[in-house]
Amino acid sequence: MPDAIIELNSLVKTYDTGEVQVQALRGVDLTVERGEMVAIMGPSGCGKTTLLNTASGLDDPTEGSITIEGTDLGSLDDNTKTSYRATRMGFIFQFYNLLPVLSAVENVELPLLVSGTPPAEARRLALAQLERVGLGEWTGHRPGQLSGGQRQRVTIARALVNNPTIVWADEPTGDLDSVTASQIMDLLTGLNQEQDQTFVIVTHGREIAGRCHRIVHMRDGLIESEEQLVG
Amino acid sequence: MDSLFGIPLTSILVALLLALGAIFGVLGVIAWRQPLLVRLGLRSIGRRRTQTALIVVGLMLSTLIISAAFATGDTVGYSITNEIYDSFEEVDFVVGFDDEAAAERADRYLTDEFLASVVAEFGDDPDIDGISGLLVEVLPALNAERRLAEPVAGFIGIDPSSIDTFNGLKSLDGELISASTLGGMRAYVSEDLAEQLDVSPGDTVQIFHSGQPAAFEVIDIVQDTSLTEAQFGGGGGLITRLDVAREVAGLEGKLSAIAISITGGVRDTLDKSGAVEERLEAFIDDHPEGRANILFTKEQVVALAETIGSIFVAFFLIFGLFAIASGVLLIFMIFVMLAAERRSEMGMARAVGMQRLHLTETFLAEGMAYNVGSAAVGALLGLGVAFVLVLVLGQIFSDAFGFGITFHFNWQGFLIAYSLGVVLTFATVTFSAFRIANLNIVRAIRDLPEPQALGGAHRSVGSLFKSAVGALWLVGWIVALAVSGFVTLLITATVIGAAFGDLPTILSGLFGGAALMGVATLMFFGARTVRRGAFRNRWNWRHWLLWAVWLLVFNLVAGVVWLLQLSRDWAGRHRSAGGWAVIMVLLGALLVWLAGWGVDALSGFQGQAFAYTSGFNLAVLGVAMLAIYFGLNQRLAFSAAGLGLVWYWILPLPFSLFSDLESVVGGDLDPVDGVLRVLGLPRPMHIEGNVEMFFVSGIAVTAAAVLVIILNAELALAPVRWLGALLGGIAPAIKTAIAYPVAAKFRTGMTLAMFGIVVFSVVVMATLNSNFTQAFLSESANGGFDVSVDVNPNNRIPDLRAALQDAGYDPDATIDGVGRLVSVFPQVRRSEDPDIDEAYEPYHLAAVDDEFIDLQRLPVEHHAVGYETDEAVWEAVRTDPTVAVIDASRLQPVDDFGGGPETSDFYLGVNDHDLRHNPWDPIALTVRDPSSGLTTEIKIIGVLEPQVTAVIPAFFAIFTSVATIEEHFEGGDLEQYFVVTADASDDAAIEAARDIESTLLELGVQADSIDKLIDDQASQSRSFQYLFEGFMALGLIVGIAALGVIAFRTVVERRQQIGMLRAIGYSRRLVAVSYFLESSFIALAGIGIGVVLGLAISHNLLASPEFTGGTEIDFQVPWARLAVILVIAYGASALMTLLPARAASRVAVAEALRYE
Repeated sequence: MPDAIIELNSLVKTYDTGEVQVQALRGVDLTVERGEMVAIMGPSGCGKTTLLNTASGLDDPTEGSITIEGTDLGSLDDNTKTSYRATRMGFIFQFYNLLPVLSAVENVELPLLVSGTPPAEARRLALAQLERVGLGEWTGHRPGQLSGGQRQRVTIARALVNNPTIVWADEPTGDLDSVTASQIMDLLTGLNQEQDQTFVIVTHGREIAGRCHRIVHMRDGLIESEEQLVG
Repeated sequence: MDSLFGIPLTSILVALLLALGAIFGVLGVIAWRQPLLVRLGLRSIGRRRTQTALIVVGLMLSTLIISAAFATGDTVGYSITNEIYDSFEEVDFVVGFDDEAAAERADRYLTDEFLASVVAEFGDDPDIDGISGLLVEVLPALNAERRLAEPVAGFIGIDPSSIDTFNGLKSLDGELISASTLGGMRAYVSEDLAEQLDVSPGDTVQIFHSGQPAAFEVIDIVQDTSLTEAQFGGGGGLITRLDVAREVAGLEGKLSAIAISITGGVRDTLDKSGAVEERLEAFIDDHPEGRANILFTKEQVVALAETIGSIFVAFFLIFGLFAIASGVLLIFMIFVMLAAERRSEMGMARAVGMQRLHLTETFLAEGMAYNVGSAAVGALLGLGVAFVLVLVLGQIFSDAFGFGITFHFNWQGFLIAYSLGVVLTFATVTFSAFRIANLNIVRAIRDLPEPQALGGAHRSVGSLFKSAVGALWLVGWIVALAVSGFVTLLITATVIGAAFGDLPTILSGLFGGAALMGVATLMFFGARTVRRGAFRNRWNWRHWLLWAVWLLVFNLVAGVVWLLQLSRDWAGRHRSAGGWAVIMVLLGALLVWLAGWGVDALSGFQGQAFAYTSGFNLAVLGVAMLAIYFGLNQRLAFSAAGLGLVWYWILPLPFSLFSDLESVVGGDLDPVDGVLRVLGLPRPMHIEGNVEMFFVSGIAVTAAAVLVIILNAELALAPVRWLGALLGGIAPAIKTAIAYPVAAKFRTGMTLAMFGIVVFSVVVMATLNSNFTQAFLSESANGGFDVSVDVNPNNRIPDLRAALQDAGYDPDATIDGVGRLVSVFPQVRRSEDPDIDEAYEPYHLAAVDDEFIDLQRLPVEHHAVGYETDEAVWEAVRTDPTVAVIDASRLQPVDDFGGGPETSDFYLGVNDHDLRHNPWDPIALTVRDPSSGLTTEIKIIGVLEPQVTAVIPAFFAIFTSVATIEEHFEGGDLEQYFVVTADASDDAAIEAARDIESTLLELGVQADSIDKLIDDQASQSRSFQYLFEGFMALGLIVGIAALGVIAFRTVVERRQQIGMLRAIGYSRRLVAVSYFLESSFIALAGIGIGVVLGLAISHNLLASPEFTGGTEIDFQVPWARLAVILVIAYGASALMTLLPARAASRVAVAEALRYE
């Protein structure tokens, strides 16, 4: 029996700039199953990132409901949502969004510290995660001293260090060359297979999306079609 | 107020207005040539309003402090001047007896004949409309009914036939009173005396002359003026008819003074004063009686008031320098941060073709838009701050001043503050704009870090030499520009200032500056045309033509500019940080040499601690930079240099703060001196520092400490990190709160410096004030006595015990001892001085009896050879009438800071340093009795500690034995008694003073508890110190504003990062806590630096006998006072940080993640 981990119902998101209202999502319905790797594709401005932000609880929907692991996100206050993110979710962004003033290991251990892991344990787990993404020798370097691919690996390590149930990735390879992008996707798919984590990946790249289980095509704030790739 | 630091205000104003005009000229040229750049700059202003508000606050602070200093000085000067006009009314000159002549004739009075001759000479003078004779005696006055007395009241006889023209008698309602209403034993009483005696019209006041009472019925109470009290009696006056006063005093035909009024009103006679004074002096000099002298003129007293006002301005300006310096740092940092914000934009702009100069111009336009407005706001707010200051001053000094303080400012001071603020900001903005524009396009666009400017892998001595020449070229160019600009400004200012006055001055200054700018611009662009025409557009005939025309007009300038342009290219290619390091080392060495050895042509540098210490600091930093240039680790090099400089300042200064370490290296523990001594090379001369060293040491030591801390912040914050690990919940907040300031070294360092400098200044001021008050106004300043008894010169008391017994008081019950001090006022000079042909100067000679010597505890600071202990010195005074001790005020002053009036021009010819470091033989003085002309010689064998004279004016004296006075001065002029009470408590002293005063009421004795005098003065001194510290603490606003600017700025800068933090689980509270902690670390570190360094420097200063004048001070930290200052400083900065912390916590996550 399929186990839905993410359920989006009639999701609407409208941005009110004061002068104009922009409807970024016009009523999206989407279900993602546990362990599934879903790619969201579509032209620029179709609402991919908005869908990811809203579904992950980074932003509040204007209308509709979001249920994650059976919990209605709309019923949670900000602090509970934040704790939930800290313990159950991981995020990977196109521009890495690492803290430039912290070293790689410090960046990775940050979510653990936030969720109350003792510092020594956090450091151990962060080092292990960096080792896992192939950055065992770069743990003390700051983001400015790393290449784009290495930075993205740090981001992935940070996203996964808490052993999250869901990993949200917004153009995780958008800023990388094709070889590095492929390596990163190898890493993500490997982790997905090993740990049965759910991945929602926003991407422009057909090759990237092709490595997922399913592709959701969006246009003008709506899901236009879905494409099942592997069983 | 007409001048500041001796420079006429008009000249300062014109120079500043010219500079202002030149600045507006520059801006005008930019706006005309590059309107787009100006629009670009101006539009940036509205981008972030909160930030704009903070920038305006930061920019206005320097102007505010300058404006407040001027308005405070103006107010004080104006209030005193006002009081003088109110008091003098129509009196312009007061002619009295000449001291010397009076002493020779044993007669202190003028005569009716002399008055008649003055009237005969000047009665018909159109410039003079009033001449009147007065008799003034200082006598005790008594309200017998209420048993209230005033020992030093003025008993004033006025002549009804001539006095009314002076308008000196006014009722309390301001109604003029005619002196013809006086008659018989009736008198007017001045408001001051009426208050002392609590008398009303119809009451009776008794005065005592030679012990004989005379009773007067009070007609009315009159205002205090120069005629009714101000100049003659400290306690107010009783005014009666001249003939009645003469009869009571037994002084028929005698006058004390002649008042003269210049034709005109109260305030419009100063212009004529000089000419009339000359005529009056000529008449007095030629007069056969030859005993008169002009005692004072209204013009002189008004000028003195103006001087006091300008001293206040100078005082507040000098001690406001820390806040001003902090403000300048803030301005610099604001623009560097603005540049960081727009780095990528600027990179793009450069990529599409903008030149560096264009970026500079854009920033200048933006900076000046902030500047022009904020300086105006600052100048206006400065008036507000001054208003509050003078309100508090008025409260503190209402008794001491004896008059009200009226807020006042003049437009000159206001314009100077505004212009100085604008010019200061312009200079800072220009410097930052040039620095900002010097960016690498690719690094800017991609936001990559700038490379290490100092280090270099393959640097050689040869390239270093070229680099140094390149840097020297720029220094030379800047110096030449500055000097020529300054000279041009000075000449123009002088010409315009002399030719015009007020409003035309402003206009001509502004237009003159703009015109100068126009000429300079023409020359500059002409020079560019020359260069382009000659080298780049060889075949363009228009350029050739322009060049030819321009060459014809500015031929000499053209040639020079051409050469400069050529050499600039070479210099620009080779200039590097290594070159600057060489310049710093050379300049530093030059300054040390000029101060330590020097040349006569530049004698201004010789012995000056400012040049010596600045040079040393510069050289040390230069050496560190050179070490980095040749490959040493930057952190190591600068940390070592910084630590060395902190050591240099905190430990021994060149002006020997740690004298007791002399034995270690010999001589003062100055590194340069020490090394030279070891090498056997010529050592530097004695270095001395003045008030500016407070500022220099503060800036230098704070900068050095900040350098060390910021480069080693990771180490310094390790304990916090460790603590954070233990705290659990907020551990992530601590991690980010530490990481950001440690990473942003420049801005953290600047903020630390801003906070540190101001806290340093306030801590030093508070600590010095507190310790000096403690030392000088503690009970040890009482000289060993409990009560001082001043005897009225008209009712002398040869033996206090006997007088008390005669009056029915048993002195033995309450008094343990009575020391007698008899005063005479002879003329004194040093007996031997081969260099100076010294004239005699008056000074106080105090003869003390044996009991005084037994009771006194007046510590001797300097002992002559042969008199090694205090006991030996005083025993010699007792037994040998040819020796004496002198107070410390007669040591030769090192610096005449403030320029206040001196009580005497007589000095010993040696200073504290001379006596401290060299054994000295007794100093022979020749003392002359002015009445007899006879001279005697006495030898100074000891100099007292300075605190001796803190509250007892009589101790400003040469102390000798009674035998000296009896032999040479016929028993002296007046006496004072110093009593030791049986009960040592303060209450017993107050009671004894009250008993003595009431017992001897009719003799006009004034007795005071010395400890109470000390307490009163300490309390007044403390109030003034608080006010002053408050003024200095205005600079804290700079530090707080800096924190605010940084915090708001970082919210914008880190928006995306905040979004990420929130995404990975930071709660709103954790984000806010992180921000708050980050600012708190900076504020607390800055406060810590300021406190530690401030206390260290204060301790060293107070341990230095040369600084304290020899008074040994038991160093105490004023914890309570410091705690108040620090809690306010941290509290205010914490409050300032709350807003941005809150803003950070409310950042919308998804929006922030998209933010670029």
